[in-house]
Amino acid sequence: MISITAPLYLAFALFIIGMIGVLVRRNVLIMLMSVELMLNGANVALIAFSRLWGNLDGQVFAMFVIGVAAAEAAVGLAIVVSLFRSRASADVDQLNVLRD
Amino acid sequence: MSLSRSLSVQTFAPAADASAWPGEAPAPGAFSQLLTGVWEFLAHTTGAEYLFFFFALLAVVCAAVTISHRNPVVAAVWLVGSFSCVAICYVMLSATFLAALQVLVYAGAMMVLFVFVVMVLDVDERGTTNQPNTRKSRRWPYYGATVVLVTGMTWVLWGTLTRQFHTSGRTIGTGFGTAESVGRELFGPALFAFEGVSLLLLAAVIGAVVVARSRRERVKEAVALGTSDEGLHVAGLGSADEDPGTPDLTDAEVRQPFPVMDFGQPSAGGHEGGN
Repeated sequence: MISITAPLYLAFALFIIGMIGVLVRRNVLIMLMSVELMLNGANVALIAFSRLWGNLDGQVFAMFVIGVAAAEAAVGLAIVVSLFRSRASADVDQLNVLRD
Repeated sequence: MSLSRSLSVQTFAPAADASAWPGEAPAPGAFSQLLTGVWEFLAHTTGAEYLFFFFALLAVVCAAVTISHRNPVVAAVWLVGSFSCVAICYVMLSATFLAALQVLVYAGAMMVLFVFVVMVLDVDERGTTNQPNTRKSRRWPYYGATVVLVTGMTWVLWGTLTRQFHTSGRTIGTGFGTAESVGRELFGPALFAFEGVSLLLLAAVIGAVVVARSRRERVKEAVALGTSDEGLHVAGLGSADEDPGTPDLTDAEVRQPFPVMDFGQPSAGGHEGGN
């Protein structure tokens, strides 16, 4: 059995790395990947606490997080495709108008 | 406070199989105590824990390369590595079904989607198509927010780990985390949420299809619905004639099995067919 602290450190590291990626990077594709990393870190924490309490609710919740992440990736990438058609750029700093 | 104490009384494991992680941090300035703590850590760490630490470290390294690489395709490949290492960590945490799901959904389906979109978009290493990045914008609010949020998260983690959870957890049965036990939970108490997620995925699919349509397709649909020119202008589709994209095919060309049937004369060198 692995103690609870090690998975918490892993979840913390993944979440922080994803957050830095979202805030610092300007490429919208890498920002989406960083959001996936953050969700993955949350999943690690959920599964670690599920193991700690011996309760499966955390794992079921992690499954739902994976489903939501899949939906988010699909819609996010569709928005990226749409932005590329009108802007031809993945730089979020250049996306500053709402019209075409 | 009383809640956490009562919880900890319920769930603290007996001292014999207590956590290998040193329960209390060594006193500051006591080098021998630090050495003792390190020795205790190494002596009580089992093989499963070494495996967990190895793959956790690998996952963090892969994640760091993911956010620091310039090319989105390479970053996606490193992200697959990070997800796979996290899946192995799930197995160490008795979540075998979630590990399989992680590999299938994250490392399989979603990364294929990412790489496919990147390939379709024709992104080069700088993340742009061909435009040089001329405008230098102010990024310091983002860097400041990064520092503040990282500090806050570290503070929360420190507060959590120093007050509670120095425990090895409750003993579990052999069926914990298998597809059967997770499925019983999923289709029993969590059935409503499960159906909600299915509805969410359906909405996401429809939304993705609607959002990712090209301008030409939108104009074609609006014309097919009988929208007037004024309505097209209101919808932001008025200047469709100035669209510099590929030229529209005529209806006669579209109806044929291939858009263009006349490929011209074969060249003098005997080259026939193909491009």
